[in-house]
Amino acid sequence: MGSYWWGIVGSYLHLIGMAAYLGGSLTMEFVVGPAQSAIPPAQAQVMGQKTADKFLIVVWGSLGLLLASGIVQAFYKGTNRMVLLGAGWFSSSYGWTQFLMIILWMVLVINGLIMTFVLRPKLAGKMSAQVGAQQVQAKQQEMIKAARLITRITRIDLGIALFLPLAGAGLIRGAGLFTGTALFDLTALMGLH
Amino acid sequence: MSWSFVARYVELVAWSVYLGGALVMELVWRPAQEHLPMSQIGVACQKMGRRYRWIALAMLCVIGLTSLTLLPGRASETLSISSRFGRSVLALVLCWCALVALVVSMAFSAHPALHVRMPSDLDPDARAAARAEVGRAIRRMDRTLRSELAIALTATLFAASLSAGGLL
Repeated sequence: MGSYWWGIVGSYLHLIGMAAYLGGSLTMEFVVGPAQSAIPPAQAQVMGQKTADKFLIVVWGSLGLLLASGIVQAFYKGTNRMVLLGAGWFSSSYGWTQFLMIILWMVLVINGLIMTFVLRPKLAGKMSAQVGAQQVQAKQQEMIKAARLITRITRIDLGIALFLPLAGAGLIRGAGLFTGTALFDLTALMGLH
Repeated sequence: MSWSFVARYVELVAWSVYLGGALVMELVWRPAQEHLPMSQIGVACQKMGRRYRWIALAMLCVIGLTSLTLLPGRASETLSISSRFGRSVLALVLCWCALVALVVSMAFSAHPALHVRMPSDLDPDARAAARAEVGRAIRRMDRTLRSELAIALTATLFAASLSAGGLL
């Protein structure tokens, strides 16, 4: 398969990964979430848990897809290969943009890890019948705190996910995001440009 | 920041929202339905459909508008049917028309069919028939959503190929 096909496959998978993450998050937040209020609480809880479980798989799949397709795209667009390997990250607007995208992707991964392995298990924890009222209250407080944190992290992720296509649009035009902006001027002042 | 840059960003976000919505319906909502009773699936589908149809239609309109503003920037020869780029753009336009038709049919035909009110004095046979009707409406909606996703994924392939000069 030549670079023409690899380029198309890379772009295709990147678009799907971004759509699954960004569009998926927005749909979960503004379409699936509100629908839970229309059905009885017990079933709403089942719906919320099942949809969140499935969406978590979609999120991890899309983050993996974004990384793999991003590498494929950069690798098969010869001029960007060196930027991908770290050479010239800070010497061009294109490099800065790519560096920023990688950092933001890492933030999404860290947030995903926190939600998957720290916060969601707290929400799913079950109590035995022998626990006292104080323990129940403490557990409930912990669950409320975890739910609040999940909401906060989800909003941060959504903000990042909305920003990433802006950086992507900058890369599509070939110039990156910082041309003519204060940040890029700063890199020039620092002698990095 | 040029207008074409802003338009490209808006187009990317709109397409992501549209395709992401279709993916969530297929990969998240459909499997979750197995754990809910049919009557509640109908209610949840109805509630979701009310929002989803307008979001989907709005996003398709945004995609159409931004594409219209971006295309005139291309040289006329690249937009001709004899070029690979032009044929891919034509395929994209056809996909877009099919998607608009599907979302419109979903919004004004498949989705209202989910909305069945059963009077409390309905006899068991009529109740069973009404439930079967809701079941059929849910399956019809599922088929429409699946076709929508398949076309959206095909359109994404054409869109992804444009930066490499087109696919067909």
